[in-house]
Amino acid sequence: MAVHVVGISDFRTSSNPDDIIITYSLGSCIGMTVYDPATRVGGMIHYMLPLSKISPDKALVKPAMFADTGVPELLKKVLELGASKSRLVVKVAGGSQLMDQHKVFNIGERNFLILRKILWKNNILIKAADVGGVISRTVRFELGTGKVTIKSSKGEVEL
Amino acid sequence: MNLKDKITAKISSFPTLPVMVSKLLHVINEPDAGAADVAKIIQYDPALTANVLKAANSAFLGFRSPVNSISEASFRLGTKWIYQIAVSSLIFSNMKKPVAGYDLGEEKLWKHSLSVALMSEALCTLLRIRDVGIIYTAALLHDMGKIVLGEHLVDHLGEIQSIVDEQEIPFEKAEDKIMGIDHAELGALIAERWRFPDTIIDCIRWHHNPDDAPQISNALDIVHIADSMSLMEGFGYGRDELQYRMSEQAVARVNATSAILELALSKTILTMEDIENIVKDMPTENSGREVKT
Repeated sequence: MAVHVVGISDFRTSSNPDDIIITYSLGSCIGMTVYDPATRVGGMIHYMLPLSKISPDKALVKPAMFADTGVPELLKKVLELGASKSRLVVKVAGGSQLMDQHKVFNIGERNFLILRKILWKNNILIKAADVGGVISRTVRFELGTGKVTIKSSKGEVEL
Repeated sequence: MNLKDKITAKISSFPTLPVMVSKLLHVINEPDAGAADVAKIIQYDPALTANVLKAANSAFLGFRSPVNSISEASFRLGTKWIYQIAVSSLIFSNMKKPVAGYDLGEEKLWKHSLSVALMSEALCTLLRIRDVGIIYTAALLHDMGKIVLGEHLVDHLGEIQSIVDEQEIPFEKAEDKIMGIDHAELGALIAERWRFPDTIIDCIRWHHNPDDAPQISNALDIVHIADSMSLMEGFGYGRDELQYRMSEQAVARVNATSAILELALSKTILTMEDIENIVKDMPTENSGREVKT
């Protein structure tokens, strides 16, 4: 068994049912898990910004920094490992904001918005989401069962 | 003695900043100070010299030929860079310990502080704001009040959180209501005791509420914005999480667009890890540098 930790602007995939993938301290960033229950292949991304157009050179070095470059990269990788797009179970967490952050730089909200757009274009549905609020979240993903749990100051919940 | 007096009494036993920081700060504050002046100060301290050279020779800078001296380092990398590495490593030992109350684990306060400093630097570059040295230092120290307030906070967390929830006020306002003082004010009192420049003291005191400051400055707005962004991104979260506000006016005052803020974020994440590792790897025997007041 291996525990893979996903840092900010990073993603991890696995086809080993004994593995666990974890990401810590999700604020306005988004953590997304994808999982094929039939082949037990899955992955998790922790991206920080919506669009790579602000800095295409950084997207080349770290595609998982941005939703529009990182999410397709993660999907490609799990499909290569044997996941089927039609069976993918997608769960999303994060997208927090500061208090009363309606207008100024609401990166959390935009991060989630752009993800829904990308997934919609790819005909992929979001099975469950725990987004928004002024909390920080830790996401734990079990490859064997596909179980995703979210830990925050509000307690621990299964997504 | 009320709670506030009890807390502020602790300031006198707060360790002083390494003398080297004050010296370096003094030099970069001088309008006609140059690379030679900074190098001169660093060279007196063998451990610090070793740290700066190690940083200059680290893989991520990718120099083909090794950097052998401080003056060579400042020639290749600039005085500002040397200053930042030196100050970051000097302050590391004061900031690395876990902070009770805020639930900040080992090196978490340090990580948050460093991210705010690097974010401030990125914003200054993108917005063409000068005085980076002062702003960088203020950003590194903006939350040091948490070190003092944290140990008293432990017994009052429930009360603080419930008035944050009930009255929908930010965490520092709730601290002030329950404890009689907040971490920003405490940090400012420490900086005053250290006889720091007023700009730095103001940055620390008003970092959550720049619009309320008697004197608004670029430095203050930058530290406020950088702190808000670091909180959003989750660099070193504590118990207070994202329960703060970001000032729209501060963003407007420095003409920061969304694209600029995003660029600053992407720049910070790329340098953060490298700088963090360089500083963490440094020898930390600061016994010769620290004195108690």
